[in-house]
Amino acid sequence: MKNLINFLIQYSVVFLFLFLEVISFTMIVKNQEYQKSIFLSSSNSAVSGMYEWSNSVVEFFKLRAANDNLSEENTALKNQIINLENKLSTLEPRTKDSIHFRIPPEMEYQFISAKVINSSTNKLQNYITLNKGTRDGIRPDMGVISDEGVVGIVKTVNDKFAVVIPILNPKIEINCKFKRSNYSGPLDWSGEDYRYANLKDIARHVELALGDTLITSGYTSTFPEGIPVGNIEDFKIKESDAYYNIKVKLAVNFRTLSHVKVINYLNYKEQKDLEKASEEQNN
Amino acid sequence: MPIVLQNIFRFILLVLFQVLVLNNIQFLGYINPYVYILFILALPVQTPRWFALVLAFALGLTIDAFSNTMGMHAFAAVMVAFLRNGTIKLFTAIEEGNNPTPSFHTFGVSAYVKYVVLLIFVHHATLFLLEAFSFYHFWLLLAKIVLSSFVTVLLVLGIQSLNKK
Repeated sequence: MKNLINFLIQYSVVFLFLFLEVISFTMIVKNQEYQKSIFLSSSNSAVSGMYEWSNSVVEFFKLRAANDNLSEENTALKNQIINLENKLSTLEPRTKDSIHFRIPPEMEYQFISAKVINSSTNKLQNYITLNKGTRDGIRPDMGVISDEGVVGIVKTVNDKFAVVIPILNPKIEINCKFKRSNYSGPLDWSGEDYRYANLKDIARHVELALGDTLITSGYTSTFPEGIPVGNIEDFKIKESDAYYNIKVKLAVNFRTLSHVKVINYLNYKEQKDLEKASEEQNN
Repeated sequence: MPIVLQNIFRFILLVLFQVLVLNNIQFLGYINPYVYILFILALPVQTPRWFALVLAFALGLTIDAFSNTMGMHAFAAVMVAFLRNGTIKLFTAIEEGNNPTPSFHTFGVSAYVKYVVLLIFVHHATLFLLEAFSFYHFWLLLAKIVLSSFVTVLLVLGIQSLNKK
């Protein structure tokens, strides 16, 4: 008996070791029936609390993907709204003049959402590259806008990418008008500051105020009417001049641009063909 | 800092590091380092053996709770705690009455590296064998054990070399 006790004491550590290993092993085997071991698994409140905390940190790094998704979804919803508006406007009884029952042109467009993958703001001629191309239905001459306002016009497209000429490039002029008074003129960029552009051809009799909003005129097929372009930051006129020199603060911050929408004007071809035909007739 | 407090901190830090960072790493599909075992490796040499076993069991269970692997880490950690004293005796000549914390300083570089490599290999081998529960994918299993042990050893030695004392 004494020997046995001595033996037990001498090897107590080994017994403890075996005991703990047996417990662990039993747990492993028992764990096959998964539900039985909810205790001490990650559904345990302390553990899950901690995972929640850790997740909130990790989530921050996943925001980019979430943004992409949201932007796609946004575009889809906008398209849906336009479709519904189109349907609604065909159903609505028009004013007495029954000739005007065709869908207003500014509603015949769709959005293609795209992501900016390369852009510059500090050169004299800036360009923006988008991650979508002809595969996604983008053609040259389409308008590009962001949620803030007008970005630019698609210049060249290949299968997967598109290059946009933004307002920040003297190669394009965008025709815009005052929301208040409907006077319109071309907007061009002086090449100095990515925040400002100049509006030309506004005659001196037009009443202006600082902060007046500029929107797209809708005279070209590129942009529908009413997309914000910017606000008047400053305007000057010399005694001898017939036109104002207007400094416009652009609505879009080109430095932080990341998601844009390309405007697909559905009647583009028809309008172009008609305009071309009438021009040829004149000649 | 008192030795007990130091070990409590080490326990918490290693568990957090393991659970929040390393468990999310699946490098190349093989490498899955388990650095938490450093806690057992760094217990003072004269820690009562039964106490080391209990601590290892608790540590293993904590990791298990976070990674939904009931018992596996507990088993491997207890195994390491059991073999620890023998390994220390094998590689070093610590005098009776001394109670150093294992490190490059107290063991000497070569002895400490051997100690770390052997025990980490035992730990990872036990763990991955339990996980696989068979020798079916033997070479894959071996690759996982060796590669993960290697990375863990690097991490452990790295952490230890940051310790000045």
